[in-house]
Amino acid sequence: MTTGTIGRIVDFVLSPHIFAPLIYPGLLAATLVLLTLIWAERKMTAKVQLRYGPLYVLKPLGGAIQLIADAIKFMFQEPIMPRNADKWVFALAPVAMMAFTIIPFAFIPAAPGFVGVDVEYSLPLVLSLSALIPPLILATSWAANNKFTLLGGVREAFMMVAYEVSLFIAAFAVASYYGTLSLSKIVEAQSVPGIILNPIAAGVFFVTMLMTASKLPYDIVEGEQEIVAGPFTEYSGILYMLVMGASYMELYVLSLVFVELFLGGWKPVIPALASIHPAFEGISLFIKAYLVLLFAVFLRSVYARYRLDQALEIGWKKLFPLALLSVIWSLALLLVAGGA
Amino acid sequence: MTSQGSSEPRASPYFWYRLMGRDEEGYDVYELFIGPQHPASGHMRIIVRLDGDIIVDAEPDIGYVHRTMEKLAEGREYIKNIPLFERATIIDAANITWGYVRAVEQLLGLEAPPRAEYLRTLLAEINRIASHLYGFGIAGIMLNHSTMFMWAFGDREVWVQLAEDLTGARLTHSYIIPGGVRRNLPQDFREKALKAIRYMEKRLQDYERIFVKNPVIIARYVDVGVIKADEAKRLGIVGPNLRAAGVRYDARIAEKYGAYPELEFEIPVREEGDAMARLLVRIEEIRQSMSIIKQILDKIPDGPIFHEKYYRMLPPKLKEFVESTGRLKLPGAFIRLKPEPGEAVARVEMGHGEVFYHIVSDGSIKPYRVRVITPAFRNVVLYRYLTRGARFMDLPAIYGSIDYFPPEGDR
Amino acid sequence: MAILDKVKEALEPLGAKVEEVRPGYITASISVENLKKAAQLLFNLGFDHVVSVEGVDWIKDNEIEVAYHAASYEPELHGVIVKLSTRVPRDKPELETLIDVWPSALYPERETWEMLGVVFKGHPELKRLLLPPDYQGPPPLRKDYKVPEEGFIVDLTRKQ
Repeated sequence: MTTGTIGRIVDFVLSPHIFAPLIYPGLLAATLVLLTLIWAERKMTAKVQLRYGPLYVLKPLGGAIQLIADAIKFMFQEPIMPRNADKWVFALAPVAMMAFTIIPFAFIPAAPGFVGVDVEYSLPLVLSLSALIPPLILATSWAANNKFTLLGGVREAFMMVAYEVSLFIAAFAVASYYGTLSLSKIVEAQSVPGIILNPIAAGVFFVTMLMTASKLPYDIVEGEQEIVAGPFTEYSGILYMLVMGASYMELYVLSLVFVELFLGGWKPVIPALASIHPAFEGISLFIKAYLVLLFAVFLRSVYARYRLDQALEIGWKKLFPLALLSVIWSLALLLVAGGA
Repeated sequence: MTSQGSSEPRASPYFWYRLMGRDEEGYDVYELFIGPQHPASGHMRIIVRLDGDIIVDAEPDIGYVHRTMEKLAEGREYIKNIPLFERATIIDAANITWGYVRAVEQLLGLEAPPRAEYLRTLLAEINRIASHLYGFGIAGIMLNHSTMFMWAFGDREVWVQLAEDLTGARLTHSYIIPGGVRRNLPQDFREKALKAIRYMEKRLQDYERIFVKNPVIIARYVDVGVIKADEAKRLGIVGPNLRAAGVRYDARIAEKYGAYPELEFEIPVREEGDAMARLLVRIEEIRQSMSIIKQILDKIPDGPIFHEKYYRMLPPKLKEFVESTGRLKLPGAFIRLKPEPGEAVARVEMGHGEVFYHIVSDGSIKPYRVRVITPAFRNVVLYRYLTRGARFMDLPAIYGSIDYFPPEGDR
Repeated sequence: MAILDKVKEALEPLGAKVEEVRPGYITASISVENLKKAAQLLFNLGFDHVVSVEGVDWIKDNEIEVAYHAASYEPELHGVIVKLSTRVPRDKPELETLIDVWPSALYPERETWEMLGVVFKGHPELKRLLLPPDYQGPPPLRKDYKVPEEGFIVDLTRKQ
């Protein structure tokens, strides 16, 4: 144990209560994900589409800090407030949106026992916190007082009810198998990765995750070709950065949950690594989550956009029954295996 | 885009209710102005009236890139109108000028030599492929399929460069002139063209894998924007949109111009009339165009590329230059072409459909009246017909599938 | 040519002057009163769409010639265009719309109204198509229309 003032500060910062929400897997790591993931997405898409992608900002690394340049640009851009907008809601909703994507980091365990606030019901808590974002999107769409944003808000309302239900049921299917709602306990209990135990739940969770973050082929809410940028049409400058960042953050949160539910959480693929240093466990979680993220954004170069009614049909007629089936599957596994 | 709705400040909480007033037909109508400043409108505006998610009416409001071509044409000499009309459809410049040149040739009583007709056909088919690829790209990005957009636009470059090899210009070729063409076939053109064809055949298979057989595209395109043969005939639709509805009509076989009567090709026709059929017809047309190019390269006859009557006017030194380089110099008298009084019409099949020219001559060096009807202008009515009753998100799908090119419609 | 005879047979009783000016291009000029009847007869012959509707301003005769170029999708009529034209006075250019016969004339008629000021009676939407909605001034495709020219220096303060 280090002593003295500096030592106490280091201890304080490294304690899970601070480190988890603020540094990893929280704010700092999330910012890193945001900056590198969008770059990686653009680079991957460019590779598929026979072009270079971001290149000129830090050329030796293939334009790796392009997003920093973009962020600086957004910071200094004038955030334009439409004259007829509901100004308070218009300005505060993006901030609240970002806040609700960051709060879940306090409850997501990053390593055994390493969690900001250890609660027994962390799984429903994290999912419910991210479920608070769609109402905020509705608020932005209403506040901007524009026909296109209103249409985007209506689409979000439709989509929200179609995916949230399946998302929760698929998550609870896993939880019911392990008999706990705590993310840490679910990871601890996972001797076989959840994706092998309950592939239906994993599939449903992944697709609804794409719907939640409105990634292709379900980027219906922001459908550029019809409604410009959906609820975010009127945003510019730093407010635009917040609303765009929020959807990536949400994807990051959900992919962390996905990894903890289905991919063995922080357990390294090579178990021996964990015994070398406990940090490897945290790194392993991060790498897994990042791979899930990369796969999710890669779909952009393969798929086009589904129509709203088709996405709703997928949500209600396919994902919802499949989610129910995954619950039955879990219960059947419980019966066969005699309980976890 | 809020300009129509919110030009007045929001006075009361009933603002949205007033916007959503009922129209005379009793629909709860939500009016949207898509364009001209919109990511997917092109240089036009579509006034969409929505009842929920269903389009009640979509009115195309064109004219944002109207360049008064018919008026300008009345003030220019015949030959100077070629670069003018080229700019109506810059992606398909060979075909749109060919129609004009055919009409002028009829007025002048000229006929191009056979080799020139083959060269015109060659460039026309290269342009057709490039034009279809442009259409694919737009169709792709309208569904937010950016890969198709990038691929098609990248592969279009192959054909644009081939056209550059032949004519010296990437887009505005001004290659087809009354009495012949401006340049002879370059020496190494055959190898380059065959290489391009081999590449494109491979790429078409890639397109099929990522776009045509993509489940999302199938969901978005099949049974969307259906028009049947009798309706298409009634509305006077042209081009691949017509042939996808089951009407076997193509100006290349109807008018028998250029080298087409001597070449073997098929006119792809499909019965479904939906967006998917229009896409498939275009893909098949690219294949046919490539087969035509191969045949032209095999069959092209030797001989002059310019009509004897005007070639004779060149001074001996210039004749020598033309013989050695294959690049034509025009005689000075050519600027003052003076057809007999009378009128002529000509139709040519472009990538988008059939273009029509009607020239009235009063015997002076400038046309008295030039009427040009472009395929896009004839297809603009499709916006109204196809979108009625469709879902709002079908609008970009339909826009992309009918391959509408606003500058061409506006002229 | 068989098709020329057929057109002659159909239209000449109405007082039309039918001739084939070029191979595959038949012109028929007719009086305004008989235009719609003639159009219907042409439609019955198989000319199922109009390629173009246009006006030609014959300023010397003080008349505007309105021409419909009818064609067909049927294989036996491929390559044939019939120009059905009529002349209306320049100061009162009015005729009946033909969109009941040929719906494909909807947009070209609208354009002809805009560009030459020809009024098609019964046309449902004679409103600006290509020109700006607030365009004031004479129809621009008439021969006496003067194109406003701008000098090298545009005086923005000058009232239009």
